[in-house]
Amino acid sequence: MALPQVFVFGVDLVRFGIDFANFYALYFAISLTLNLETGYTGVPNFGKVLYVAGGASVAGSLSGRLAASVYGISTRGDFITFNAQIITQVSNRLASDPIFSVEIVLLSLMIAAVIGAAFGYLSSYPAIRLREDYLGMLLLAVAQFYQIFLRGFGPLVGGTQGIFVPDPYAYFASLGIGVRDLAAAVVISLFAVAVYFYAERVARSPLGRTLRAVRDNEDASRALGKNDSSVRRKVLVIASAMAAMAGALVTFYSGSVGADTWSRFAWTFWPWLIVVIGGAANNLGIALGALCFTALFKGLAQIQLAIPSSYAPSDPNYMVDIAFAALIVVVLLVRPEGILRERPTPTLPRGRLSMIARSATGRSLGGIPTSAVVDTASDRKRILERLRALSRRILRRREAAE
Amino acid sequence: MVVPFLNSAIVYASLFAFMALGLTLTYLTTKVPNFAYGSFVTIGIYTAYTMWKVNRINPYNASFVAFLIAAVSAAVMYLAVLRPLANRGSSLVSLMIATFGVDIGFIGIFGIYTDYLRARYVLIDTKSFFQLQADFNLGGVPGLVYVAPTLLALLTLGLYILLTRTKFGVAMRASVENPSLSRILGINVERVYLISWMLAGGFAGLAGSLYTLWLPGGTSTGSDLIVEIFAASILGGLTSIFGAILGGLVIGGSEIVVGTDLTVGFGAFGTGLLAAILLLAGVFLWRNRRRGRARLVGGVSFVLGVYVLLEAISGVALDPLVPGLVNGFGAEAIAYQRAVPLLIMVGALLVLPKGLVSINLRRILRWEERK
Repeated sequence: MALPQVFVFGVDLVRFGIDFANFYALYFAISLTLNLETGYTGVPNFGKVLYVAGGASVAGSLSGRLAASVYGISTRGDFITFNAQIITQVSNRLASDPIFSVEIVLLSLMIAAVIGAAFGYLSSYPAIRLREDYLGMLLLAVAQFYQIFLRGFGPLVGGTQGIFVPDPYAYFASLGIGVRDLAAAVVISLFAVAVYFYAERVARSPLGRTLRAVRDNEDASRALGKNDSSVRRKVLVIASAMAAMAGALVTFYSGSVGADTWSRFAWTFWPWLIVVIGGAANNLGIALGALCFTALFKGLAQIQLAIPSSYAPSDPNYMVDIAFAALIVVVLLVRPEGILRERPTPTLPRGRLSMIARSATGRSLGGIPTSAVVDTASDRKRILERLRALSRRILRRREAAE
Repeated sequence: MVVPFLNSAIVYASLFAFMALGLTLTYLTTKVPNFAYGSFVTIGIYTAYTMWKVNRINPYNASFVAFLIAAVSAAVMYLAVLRPLANRGSSLVSLMIATFGVDIGFIGIFGIYTDYLRARYVLIDTKSFFQLQADFNLGGVPGLVYVAPTLLALLTLGLYILLTRTKFGVAMRASVENPSLSRILGINVERVYLISWMLAGGFAGLAGSLYTLWLPGGTSTGSDLIVEIFAASILGGLTSIFGAILGGLVIGGSEIVVGTDLTVGFGAFGTGLLAAILLLAGVFLWRNRRRGRARLVGGVSFVLGVYVLLEAISGVALDPLVPGLVNGFGAEAIAYQRAVPLLIMVGALLVLPKGLVSINLRRILRWEERK
């Protein structure tokens, strides 16, 4: 089975689409977790890379060792040095062992989630106590140090050189060029969709309203009996666990993990950029923001490929950096609420709300709040009269204005 | 072995004092932690690099130019990004993410600039280079060991005079304390902020320029140093100029001293000293805190102290950690020396959130007498 090829201006649209989907789904998922912390709960997480890198490094390091020991491949006591040979053997075995491939992905996701949750729990300690600026500096510094640790500590991911990771998509690699990436895109997209539905469910639930209450007015929510520290801690733990799972999926997709991938620009700033563009505390906005970001990023990459290097005096990636820097400043100046602003979420599904409204008046009420459930004929009459009074008053005002 | 690492500690401490001073100045005026501050250091680094490689101008002389270029960059950043956003009423988090964005923009600019340098002057090491061999020697000691602390002392004196004896310094303090009242009194607060930012950028550029004499540099050096700069500034209290200088000295010095000790070992005496600190902290926490968790930490610290002490004295290797502390972990451990500022920063945030300057020595002494 070979993938079809569709060329437009010399770009293979199918390969481009698969690449696009992988990148989009990945950043969509990570930005959703950031939005849960920053947009809904108001914990500005300037160390997002820490959780992604934590999940990726531990899952990437353990999955190889685990697979080697299950298949009985000797590591000769030094997994890092003989890593290339070991992982080649493991991936060859995995190509004909789809069940174990699935198992190793699921297990790695679980390990990553535990690591991310642990990191999230630890960072909730300062997150509850410190002001935004101190917290930002601390998390940024801790994330930066984790990268230094990865560089210095060889046994985990082999420092800057990095190690290979067993390829659970190896089965698809034999089917044709690009099929493996397609399989990865499907898996990462499924993950992103799951995160989206989870985030959306949280946002619409009473918990979501608690989160926003804690964000907007700590004292008032405390007075209403909400435990703001425990809410913040839970959000950080869950969001970090999901970010770490995304990190594990990155390593399986890219096939290797090292210390230098985890820059704070690619894994903290880009998700922040997406949240700012799309609109904080609006999951649909994040989807749009991630789409804008990915289109810009991948589109610029295609333009770079099209320019012959003799015309480009410098690595065009630097222009992309500058463009993103300008973009975030412009967005913050011109439209700080993002593409989609935060909306009040209805406490019931829309269908139920309009049903209640219909039962109250016999027809849809449009924009009238339907917090009161009405079911008797007198109530109906009262509401109708109030509506008529309201429209009369509006008419009178208009006339007066004219 | 002793002298080179003391030299290093002196230079490092002075340079971080410059950097922390600048960061604190920007924080004082705009109340935003400037994530792009490390890039001002990189500007200084590349000014010195270019002037040395292309024109053979010594980094000491280049530091004046670096001061100016970094000051202008800081002014541009303040005028083009932070002031418009602040006037628009952006939240603190928006301002923070904007400075983060500016940092990545700076990285892009450095990338293009180094590509240009490489193509124009046929230099191969523009992206990351070794320390410049441009320093003079005085009595077998590199000149920077004298120059950096002297400059810092002069600068501290100058700042003290500026802030307490001149009209502009008083206006500056007033604008930081209470901007609206200062405006009423006719102080041009915007101009004061702008000049503070230029001074802050200039200090970073100066430090970056001197940095090239001592350590290898590259396009990401500044943004890697941000951990230490934040740590120094927070240790100094983030709102005190002289606290920042003190914090920079402590962070820079301890990073080198502890880092070197990690590689070559603290020796039995040094390890015993560490154990004694653990013991004392344990006793202090156990006796003075009523809360259960603090007492638990105190108890654990006490037990750890006893364990380390016994093992260091007896020389029996029960675990790899304590012999490592005594004899050193080897050259690889140098990577972890950067954990020192981070740990100090975490400790400062937990124990001394208002920084070193908030310590009231008189009260502590009196408290000891009462006991």
